[in-house]
Amino acid sequence: MALVLVSIVLMFADNRFGYLSQVRYYASYSVTPIHYLSSLPQAVSQRVGNVFKGRDELLAENRLLQEELLMQQYQLQKFDHLTAENQRLNELLNASAIVDDIVVRAQLVGESPDPFKKQVLINKGSIHGVYEGQPVLDADGLFGQVVMIEPYYSWVQLITDAQHSTPVQINRNGIRAVVSGTQGSQHVMVLNNITANTDIVEGDMLVTSGLGQRFPAGYRVGVITDIVRDPGQPFALVRVAPTARLDSSRNLLLVF
Amino acid sequence: MADTATLKASHGLWVIVVTFIIAALLLVMPLPDSMEYYRPEWVALVVIYWAMALPHRFGLISAWVLGFFVDVLGGSLLGLNGLVLSLVTYMALSLYQRLRMFTMLQQASTIFILVGLHQLVSFWVLTVSNQNTSPNLMFLISALTSAIIWPLVFYSLRYLRRSFRVV
Repeated sequence: MALVLVSIVLMFADNRFGYLSQVRYYASYSVTPIHYLSSLPQAVSQRVGNVFKGRDELLAENRLLQEELLMQQYQLQKFDHLTAENQRLNELLNASAIVDDIVVRAQLVGESPDPFKKQVLINKGSIHGVYEGQPVLDADGLFGQVVMIEPYYSWVQLITDAQHSTPVQINRNGIRAVVSGTQGSQHVMVLNNITANTDIVEGDMLVTSGLGQRFPAGYRVGVITDIVRDPGQPFALVRVAPTARLDSSRNLLLVF
Repeated sequence: MADTATLKASHGLWVIVVTFIIAALLLVMPLPDSMEYYRPEWVALVVIYWAMALPHRFGLISAWVLGFFVDVLGGSLLGLNGLVLSLVTYMALSLYQRLRMFTMLQQASTIFILVGLHQLVSFWVLTVSNQNTSPNLMFLISALTSAIIWPLVFYSLRYLRRSFRVV
């Protein structure tokens, strides 16, 4: 009975006030070895795979990467020019300059044991300078944000979690909106409070708007997949597919 | 006399600890997304086994402390697993004499009910604390897989307990 009371008080304190983040932080030292052990097979198989890669395979991969690099550098040249131009135009408008973000690589090492919670574990923690609310990207777009920190690991809530919302704008015309995750295991999001006559079409790209002070502006979030305009409803139902590969990306980027 | 009793009480403690570490590893072991629903409640199964085999050693407080670490490990609400695991232990402790007499099928169906309650209570707590994101009753599937895997858990833990003479 006493234990039940203690649990209830603990859960209440954790849920409502966040007093316990320190307790959790120090207690998580004790579970770090378990996280490490559970991510070990993945690390070992990667390393063993690297050792036994054939020479031809490596050469082919190298050639492919070099071609890719060339293409990217070509695009980057154009991009440099555009950035400079953008900065000049922004200065003309007296807007604040766009600062380049610093990113740090992290690797996905685990998933939440609760199948209904879309959270993943990454191998960077407070000793690497990770902080709560930090944005996480993968190569294709916004991935999520850090919600819980341990010394060597941290938990990232995906943008499709039912409890997560992201401030976005439509890349084509700058309309602002909020996109929220959905329940269930599918990685789908919905745009909230879009009136039936808002100018949006299928295939529109959503990028972070920078409002809400959490995600920097301009990162890709998702693409509108379908729009249901029901005359009986005040708002249209707009489904969004995330651009980040939420179910398969292993290499992630932390934005500082 | 008292000395021998304390010696006995700490006998083979490491076996129990190791089984819980293995259960924790199985709990966080990555699974494909579609398989996540079917993951048995490993820690609850091991807790039930030890409560049933060694009711004089494995009590509510050990279950609660264990649950606390499961919460830290899985990033869930602090105290949630402490609550549900001590609940499961309480029931296993009051049923242990019957559980020992049961056939494997009867045991497995009791496990189904115990783990089902475990799931149901955590479902309630998550709903009350506004963290529930399960749209349907899929969360009960793991009670079924736990019951199916129970004979394996039972026989392997009993083998361990007997070969290391944990009493």
